Amino acid sequence: MALLSRVADRVYWAARYIERAEDSARILRAYGDVLADMSGTSMRWRPLVTISGSDVTLPAVAGSDEAQVAQFLIADRDHPNSIAVTVEACRENLRTCREVLPREAWQTVNDLSIYVRGAAVTSVERRRRDRFLGRVIDESRRLDGVLQSSMTRDEVFETWRLGRYLERADMTTRVLGVRAATLLSLPPGATDEFGEVQWMSVLRSLSALQMYQRATKGPITGPAVVRFLLFDHRFPRSVAGCLAEMRNSALRMPNHATVLGAIESADRELRRSRPAADDGVALDSAMEAVQLALSRLDDTLHQQYVVH
Amino acid sequence: MAREVIELLHRLGIDELRERQRISDLEILTMGISFTVYSDGQNIDRSWPFDIIPRLISGAEWSNVERGLAQRLRALNHFIDDVYNDRRIIADGIFPAELLEDSTNYRPECEGIHPKFGVWAHISGSDLVRAGDGQFYVLEDNLRVPSGVSYVLENRGVAKRAFPELFERHHIRPVDAYTDELNKLLTSLAPDGRHDPMIAVLTPGIFNSAYFEHSFLAQRMGAELVEGQDLVVGADDCVYMKTIQGLERVDVIYRRIDDLFIDPEAFNPDSMLGVAGLMRAWKAGNVGIANAPGAGVADDKCVYAWVPDMIRYYLGEEPLIPNVPTYRCMYDDECAHVLANLGDLVLKPANESGGYGIVIGNRATDEELAAAAAAIREDPRNWVAQPILDLSTAPTLVDGGIEPRHLDLRPFILTGSSSYVTAGGLTRVALTKGSLVVNSSQGGGSKDTWIVDDVPTADSPDRPPGRQQQQSDGVATLQDGATQSQDGATQSQTGAAPLQDGAV
Repeated sequence: MALLSRVADRVYWAARYIERAEDSARILRAYGDVLADMSGTSMRWRPLVTISGSDVTLPAVAGSDEAQVAQFLIADRDHPNSIAVTVEACRENLRTCREVLPREAWQTVNDLSIYVRGAAVTSVERRRRDRFLGRVIDESRRLDGVLQSSMTRDEVFETWRLGRYLERADMTTRVLGVRAATLLSLPPGATDEFGEVQWMSVLRSLSALQMYQRATKGPITGPAVVRFLLFDHRFPRSVAGCLAEMRNSALRMPNHATVLGAIESADRELRRSRPAADDGVALDSAMEAVQLALSRLDDTLHQQYVVH
Repeated sequence: MAREVIELLHRLGIDELRERQRISDLEILTMGISFTVYSDGQNIDRSWPFDIIPRLISGAEWSNVERGLAQRLRALNHFIDDVYNDRRIIADGIFPAELLEDSTNYRPECEGIHPKFGVWAHISGSDLVRAGDGQFYVLEDNLRVPSGVSYVLENRGVAKRAFPELFERHHIRPVDAYTDELNKLLTSLAPDGRHDPMIAVLTPGIFNSAYFEHSFLAQRMGAELVEGQDLVVGADDCVYMKTIQGLERVDVIYRRIDDLFIDPEAFNPDSMLGVAGLMRAWKAGNVGIANAPGAGVADDKCVYAWVPDMIRYYLGEEPLIPNVPTYRCMYDDECAHVLANLGDLVLKPANESGGYGIVIGNRATDEELAAAAAAIREDPRNWVAQPILDLSTAPTLVDGGIEPRHLDLRPFILTGSSSYVTAGGLTRVALTKGSLVVNSSQGGGSKDTWIVDDVPTADSPDRPPGRQQQQSDGVATLQDGATQSQDGATQSQTGAAPLQDGAV
């Protein structure tokens, strides 16, 4: 089966957008959750905007309280990374490549998009937010389930996976670069009271808490959390895990030498960040370096399969 | 069966019907069955309008329609092949040469070409109306890029879930085979020696009103859905598509772009939709194109008037489905008749489609009629006129309950080495009371069309064969058959020429 370059590009971006929506929902949900445990402290919402990569879009002078940030991340039509916009972008990309995916895949996204259009604005409020975010996460997983169980392992499937894992790896580095780096940078003792709760929240925002505990069997400490999320390649949301999945998919794509090369160099960048697991400032810049390598990988995919 | 459907509708009651309608609407929304309308400079993806009450047509009647449509398309294809090659029909004095000379759909670039099987219009959708006399008439032949067939298939899927009890007990002819037949037809158009050909559906893109259908057909056939930018014609005059592995040969193109836009090299140089060199590749026999460029020459409201003559001339047969009588303003006597009876006629510009420019005499203002008369005198060749038909109606679920609404029918005809006609077709219904406008872009809806072979199934003991005849005779309200709206018939009879083929 041939795969048109234009179609490959759309499939790839549909995957990235749905993953972006799902990850944003996880992060927001975990943040709201930890907030409940930390009443009385001056919990800051601004970091969530930083994680979404949209500091420029929402200038510092604009509001940074919970309602404003939640509105910005969930429902803002002018914010390119809001859940409302990314779900719609996924739908628009899929709408133009329906012929290469199982029909239920399109229906799942279309269904989600109808829901989000109707519910986003009213789901900003904390009371309704959880249900909304849960639905976004569930539908995104359902989509993966449909593809997993009913799609031929062809180039479309591998392209989809490349998009998914690249976006996921990028998101994990963003969470670590912002939240973990901040926690690590606090003076000793400052995090004691809520330290564990905060690190649990970091894990939860990547749905990693339970798997972390099974893997480490020890208490929750910052550096151990960072190492787990970066290097435990058995965990599918760790950066190493995502790179391993991308490698598997790239091997099944035609003419994959340049792509494999770009994955290896992202992997090298990742391994270079190992010493940064204890140091907030170093971690922040190490994550930036990994993000740059991921962005070069994105560019390589584009050059190899879309514009060539 | 008509009686049984009516009984079922009564038994269910209006609330249950509305509930089933609601579920169907929801299904259409979540499945993303949509069409695109242009409004205020924006393209809006709208949910497909569907009325759950089916339209019934008897299998016996339909078999005749099928034969008539296949016959019609055979003759039309003979005609197209003839005018681009030998022009026998003109030499023999049947068809006037001047009509070709100023036809906007005639493509001199196609002269001397012999497509496979002598077929140019492979996929067509002829619009049928049932008039007051109960007879189906062909209203027009759409030979360029007719759309709507995807909705026939989608409507059936929704209808099956809305009335499972009826599908269980009756033989309603299935419609699903269409895409497979289309696939076979397209495959047969591949250049000689190309086995397992690569088939592509060429779409203008996401903003086209029929994009949903282009995607649907590609999906169902496992064909590639391509845009002009995905294709390139090589120095070897073959067509290639740009894939992630590089260029790959395309053997057959089902183009859903008007022929003037398919190749900027041959036609409109400003077209961004087409592929430079496509005509070269086609002429060299390196790619099959459906419908063939130039096929639109027979899809012209003027040429239409000659179709019955074509059937007699090329096939030596009498037309099985009549034309609506058509006055051709290019002839002085017919033009004079038209100008004297403007208020009783439908006035149609010959080369417009989608209902544009049409004037309905008895609904137009005096100013509109005067403007139309001036336009006809200015350019009589570009105008035809037909009596105002009384379109048949079918019961439709509307705000006020179940009420009759006007409808038409677009079956789809595939022509290659053999012919195939869809079982039924797309029934479009004017949802506004009294309206004749069925276009979905203008508030029209659709219905599933059931071709029913009224043979009771073995496991329906409550309907012994002996009572069958009596029941069918007794009820004709749902089955859209002959006996509806008698006064309508009278009206159209008195309004203009009798509804007989070739009456003019």
